[in-house]
Amino acid sequence: MNLEHFLKSEAPGWMDVKGLETDIVLSTRIRLARNLKGYRFPLSFTENEAHQVDGMIEEALQSIESDALKFSHFTVKEMPALQRQVLVEKHLISPLLAKKEKSASVHLSNDETISIMVNEEDHLRIQCLAPGLQLAETYANAFKLDSKLEEHLPYAFNESFGYLTSCPTNVGTGLRASVMMHLPALTMSKQIKIVTQMLARLGMVVRGIYGEGSENLGNIYQISNQVTLGKSEEEILKDLQEVALQIIKNERGAREALLKNSRIILEDRFNRSLGTLKYARIMTSEEAAACLSNVRLGVDMGIIREVPLNVLNECMILIQPGFVQQYAGTTLQAGERDMYRAKLLREKLNLNNHKLNDKGEERYDV
Amino acid sequence: MICEHCQERQATVTVTQVVNGQKSEKHYCEVCAQNFHPFNLDFHKEEQIPIHQLVSNLFGLPVWNSGTQEKAPSTTKKSAECPTCGFTFRKFLNEGKLGCPQCYETFGKQLPLVLSKIQAGTTHSGKAPGKLKSNNEWIKKQIESTREQLQLAIHEERFEDAAELRDEIREMERKLERGGVDAP
Repeated sequence: MNLEHFLKSEAPGWMDVKGLETDIVLSTRIRLARNLKGYRFPLSFTENEAHQVDGMIEEALQSIESDALKFSHFTVKEMPALQRQVLVEKHLISPLLAKKEKSASVHLSNDETISIMVNEEDHLRIQCLAPGLQLAETYANAFKLDSKLEEHLPYAFNESFGYLTSCPTNVGTGLRASVMMHLPALTMSKQIKIVTQMLARLGMVVRGIYGEGSENLGNIYQISNQVTLGKSEEEILKDLQEVALQIIKNERGAREALLKNSRIILEDRFNRSLGTLKYARIMTSEEAAACLSNVRLGVDMGIIREVPLNVLNECMILIQPGFVQQYAGTTLQAGERDMYRAKLLREKLNLNNHKLNDKGEERYDV
Repeated sequence: MICEHCQERQATVTVTQVVNGQKSEKHYCEVCAQNFHPFNLDFHKEEQIPIHQLVSNLFGLPVWNSGTQEKAPSTTKKSAECPTCGFTFRKFLNEGKLGCPQCYETFGKQLPLVLSKIQAGTTHSGKAPGKLKSNNEWIKKQIESTREQLQLAIHEERFEDAAELRDEIREMERKLERGGVDAP
């Protein structure tokens, strides 16, 4: 499948509205880090080694491909910067991979639920994504793929340290499981700080939606395990699952309390946000994320009824700079991006109401 | 006030000493105070700790200043170099990352020290190549705990929740039949 398939402006497969607890948990991600025996890690390997690793992994993947599971292979170097950014924003590749020059590449399954990064920090990063809270199921997919691959690849493994990785924070299981959660009520009621502290003590990390360092844009948090060694995969997943369920419970409790105490304020806020999304002419990504979060909460609480959740999921992805520029078909300055972002959101959110007017609007927009 | 020692500069530091219950106060300028101070601390400059030192502190390992180490290599034991990638343990501490799989053997003795600070243990207890461990166990456990929730829901007459839980269990059982994996 060609690259255009993966660049199209639609919510990726893992952002569907199926799965459990989809009102709070947006998606589940499982990542396995693996390396090949006899090759230095990407940090210190040569161009030649990188090339060999890339070739070996491609061969292994070809031999496990079936009609149901097909991969498309893209070399990072050959992709224009904007396309790399779009893949990063879709969470199909990491920001680190997008910057790599030495024979770094990615294999994507056609439904975008599996992404195998080659020569990122480790030789191999197997990533499986799924909508909603599905830790066991998503891990089962990753497990199956990993087990098949290990028949064809000599994994670097050591009895006492487990799967060997470049960074000691990944060694052992090489497993990082994360759930992406929308926690507006916990944020509004300032409980999120306590949650974050509690999680740190349990060996879990809380990050923003766009990975390490990104803030809680749109009240979306990514919660993942920190520990990879000394616990089995099952224990890691079980602990994360329990934590996630606990947070869901707290978030629901906080939502109920909010609704009970300040219903009219919430109704006002949600509908204002919806109005902004539908009619604003300039939108920064921060404002867009905040408005989308409000509308989403409004939909979850049954206050807003006309917006389907999948449209909101799609918008969350589309408001990112790479997508906005792809939509415009050219690179843009920040100010121009805000105008295009507003236009994009108007189109998406007004789609149901007046399909006929859509085309006419474009003339005076830009 | 003028510094009691050099009698030249303005005194800005007060040193209070208590000897045998007798308190005495001395006033020095910054320059003299620095020389007198038992630890010779540079207490006015904001200290900028290099990142590798932070890492070493975090891992509870001794710190050698990289500058002095180069000048006097004989005072510190020369650490082993990884034969495959040339990494030393020091380089690992600086970078926070290892150079190749071989490093885990080269630094096999030092690594557990670091790992025990950042991980739950120092020995792997999960999946291993060749040993196929089924994912079914985990799903079975999930079904059990969901069943408990279901009983609770029925007991508390939360029938809508119960119906949802029942569907969840059914879905998981279907998965178990397919061998723990979603049909593609």
